[in-house]
Amino acid sequence: MKELVSMSTLEQTRAIRELTRSFEEKKRIRNKVLAFRSVKKSHEFTWFAELSENASLFFRRCGYTMRSARQALELWHGVMKEIGGKFGSSVLTYFMFLKWLLLFNIFSFVVNFSFITVPLLVYDPNITSSVHFRGLELLTGAGYFTHTVMYYGAYSNETLQHGVEYNLQLAYFFTIAVYMVLCGITLIFSMASSFKKNFVLVDPASTSAWQLLCSWDFSVTSEKTVTQRKNNLRVQLKESLSEKAQKELLTLPEKLKRFGIHLGSWLVSTALVVGCAVSIFFLCQYEGKLFSQWGPGAASLQQEAETLLVPFVVSLLNLVIPLFFSLFNKLEHYSNKRSQIYTLVIRNVFLRMSVLGVLCYYWMNEVSLRAPSQCWESMVGQALYRLVIFDFLFLMLGSFFGEFLRNVIGTKLHRRLGSPEFDVARNVLDLIYAQTLAWIGIYFSPLLPSIQILKFLILFYLKKVSLTQNCQPPRRTGRAAQMQTIFIFLLFFPFFVGAISIVGYTAWSLNPSQNCGPFRGLNQTFSVVEVWIDGLQSLPGSGWAVWIYENIIRSELFYFLVTLIILGITYVFYQLIQGRKELIGLLKQRIVNEGKDKSYLLDKLQNLHMSRPKKDTRQSKDGRNSHQPSLSGHSDAVRQALLARQQAEQEEATYSDGVSVPADISTSSALMQAMLARQKAERENEDYYQRAEDPPSSFSALSLAMEARQRAEGEMLQENYRKEHFYENPTTASSAVSQVMQARLRAEESSAVMQVMQARQQAEQEAGMQWTDVQLQNQAVSSSSAVAQALQARLRAEEESPASSVMMQVMQARQQAEQEAGMQWAHVQPQNPAAVGSSALIQAMLARQQAQNEYDDGY
Amino acid sequence: MGATASQLDKGMLSEYQELTYLTKQEILLAHKRFSELVPKEEIDRINCRIPMNLVLTLPELKSNPFNERICKVFSTSDSHDGSLNFDDFLDLLSAFSDSATLEIKSHYAFRIFDFDDDGTLGRHDLEKLVNCLTGGTDDTNLTPEEMRQLIDNILEESDIDKDGTVNLSEFQHVISRSPDFVSSFKIVL
Repeated sequence: MKELVSMSTLEQTRAIRELTRSFEEKKRIRNKVLAFRSVKKSHEFTWFAELSENASLFFRRCGYTMRSARQALELWHGVMKEIGGKFGSSVLTYFMFLKWLLLFNIFSFVVNFSFITVPLLVYDPNITSSVHFRGLELLTGAGYFTHTVMYYGAYSNETLQHGVEYNLQLAYFFTIAVYMVLCGITLIFSMASSFKKNFVLVDPASTSAWQLLCSWDFSVTSEKTVTQRKNNLRVQLKESLSEKAQKELLTLPEKLKRFGIHLGSWLVSTALVVGCAVSIFFLCQYEGKLFSQWGPGAASLQQEAETLLVPFVVSLLNLVIPLFFSLFNKLEHYSNKRSQIYTLVIRNVFLRMSVLGVLCYYWMNEVSLRAPSQCWESMVGQALYRLVIFDFLFLMLGSFFGEFLRNVIGTKLHRRLGSPEFDVARNVLDLIYAQTLAWIGIYFSPLLPSIQILKFLILFYLKKVSLTQNCQPPRRTGRAAQMQTIFIFLLFFPFFVGAISIVGYTAWSLNPSQNCGPFRGLNQTFSVVEVWIDGLQSLPGSGWAVWIYENIIRSELFYFLVTLIILGITYVFYQLIQGRKELIGLLKQRIVNEGKDKSYLLDKLQNLHMSRPKKDTRQSKDGRNSHQPSLSGHSDAVRQALLARQQAEQEEATYSDGVSVPADISTSSALMQAMLARQKAERENEDYYQRAEDPPSSFSALSLAMEARQRAEGEMLQENYRKEHFYENPTTASSAVSQVMQARLRAEESSAVMQVMQARQQAEQEAGMQWTDVQLQNQAVSSSSAVAQALQARLRAEEESPASSVMMQVMQARQQAEQEAGMQWAHVQPQNPAAVGSSALIQAMLARQQAQNEYDDGY
Repeated sequence: MGATASQLDKGMLSEYQELTYLTKQEILLAHKRFSELVPKEEIDRINCRIPMNLVLTLPELKSNPFNERICKVFSTSDSHDGSLNFDDFLDLLSAFSDSATLEIKSHYAFRIFDFDDDGTLGRHDLEKLVNCLTGGTDDTNLTPEEMRQLIDNILEESDIDKDGTVNLSEFQHVISRSPDFVSSFKIVL
């Protein structure tokens, strides 16, 4: 409550919201806090406070409005909900990914259009083509489009002079460079954050717990899907159980057979990929030969149509070969679903990579050298345009044949097949491939993103319709979030890096066309920067830019140093990770140990409760036991000590008689004291039995003792409870050590449990300290005059031997002792002795147990 | 306290915004949906409750295997009959909304899964949970042996202190290691 009041309004709102209470309770708390605040404020009422309060309220309202507005603006909110509701979050991943890529392309289009195309159009608005529009251009991208702003060739290398200078060369270069760099950074950051979230924290061992505790998709709303999911989950569970049972039974020939199938399918798929790559390469060369036979001027319609051959074949291969891969995948036997998916993904990536690699090789090494008269960049741009368009067509065909026809066959002809599943992995790879084409093409055809935007928009609705009409939800739901991370990673690693290196290679090493495009007349595209810097040198006041260029961008030493630093940082982080892993292992072990201790103590406690009526035998048994296991290690000793303490407590509460423990508290550990106390208690016990000849009296004394003990325990519990609450306030009573521990744990983003455990341990430590207090107090009691009085009382009682009087006497003695104890408590408390090192563990255990009980009760 | 079923005034709305993770539109939508469920004769009563069977007619909850548990957990009714008033209903939506923290979500998930309300997930709870998740006809259900093995597996993986039950912190530990949870523990109107 106090914490809440002292917080700022924003934090306070958040804290209240995070309470896991019912709404009404939250409201009550909030009102209380607000009331408290207004009372406080009335004391120190100033116009400034009011103003700031109003301002913060205003900003908060603004924040709410913004949040609402953002949600309203969010693209396809309803559609996404519908898909998630019917097919679950793993299929939703595909659509999220599609949306994400679409945003990339919109950004790229806006940037390119406004920084490259608009200036050109302003400068020279009437770029007209010599060829008439014939319709086929939509597919080929050639003909009419060749000399439009669509391609590299149409851009000018001049500097605009409308009031301000605008260098089109530089604009072209920097726009694309900045876009690529921004893409890279975005990818790296989203990859890193999603990796951190989805991989680092994930525990690979907990599959069945995960399946049951966290995999249920609450957003699924359709009845059919729910039953389907239930069935799927049941099948999965059964399979995983039988797999676990079966794993050991696999014989050597079976293993060999499986291995052989794996090897075979890898070989075949690699051969397929290589075959595809080689055939595409020869096809390209053949097409090149055809082109070189063309005369100058406009190509005929047939010639133009011939250019469609390569994209057609490439897209066809991209459609068909993955089907073979899926077939292999069905033949192979995988121990778990994940490795199956990963194998499929790897093979597909391999295929796409080699196809794209061959095409790029062909463009870079043959097209770029071929025709000095023609604009080779535009030709590459056209080729990419065709690929993009054909890829789109084949994606549509794919969803028609793969999903619609398959559904018709599955539901009408072969009932056994059923509706097809939506293959998230394959579809996402298609998207990645499409996006890579757009990235490569951005240098050659700056407006390609516009085509891409259209393509993705249509694809989104197409896939949505196809999904809802034809498909059933995937039978197995993998970890959707992890798959998403892998997709982002794939998008980055082979594909984006490949695209950027091709664009980079083009800019650094290839000769731009001499007659067209913004870089005509230069040896390399990059020399545009050199020319610019040369121009800058003559200008005053731009020395810093030249210096940066000379000393940073162009110096190898700089990059070397940067690389070294990054490597160093990586190494440090690696070491940190290793250390933390070790730490986590240790902490886990500790939790297990504590759990064992806890259960042991609970057992013990239960036994004590059960054996209460026959306590004397029990105690003597304990006494006998205590001598044997002291050899068997520390933990036994701890237990013994615990027992001892309990006994000692009992004894002390009942008799309070003359146990004069050495008052040398500071040196002897609590453990020792406990042991001592116990021995004394035992002795006392024996004493007592020897001396108390009258059985009824001893019995009643015992029952009194029990009562007293219970009361003492109750007090203790209360005390602990209070303490616990007190310690919840982290600023008041947390020791430096535990804070450091916590901070470290938080830094390493270890799990909630760890922190909770840590917090509990902290509480335990505190509790331990408090226990020490109690003990000290006990010591004090025992050495105080109360002891003497109690002794007297008891002696008297023994002399007078009748049962009733003994009871009375003991009662009196106890009361006195309690009073004394209360006084002593007051004395001891302010001293607050230092925590007694290792022995605090035992006490902490007890305290924790009690805390646990408290918690359970509270819950 | 509480809203009349027929309208929401502005102060109420901002209070709801402050205390839940919902946006204005979501609260208004929730209110609309809630009012549709309120029986005619009670529409002007302050703070009226909808009985559980009516709440469960909402398509968002209808087919959820935990729908009754959800109602019971979020209900503040004294008779524990799972009936919800508007505050409870918002509370429910808030916990299942996109912006609720992992802490809140896991807390409520734990309570939903804790069928006997004893504060830990014991074997009995886990068994019920498995039945809810795989539920179906008797012949396809898991055999007792499979069930036992499955629960053993769960306990082995998530019961860190080996006391035979999964308590809240252990549960949150498991949850914190499964990033999908936040996106799947979601009900949107």
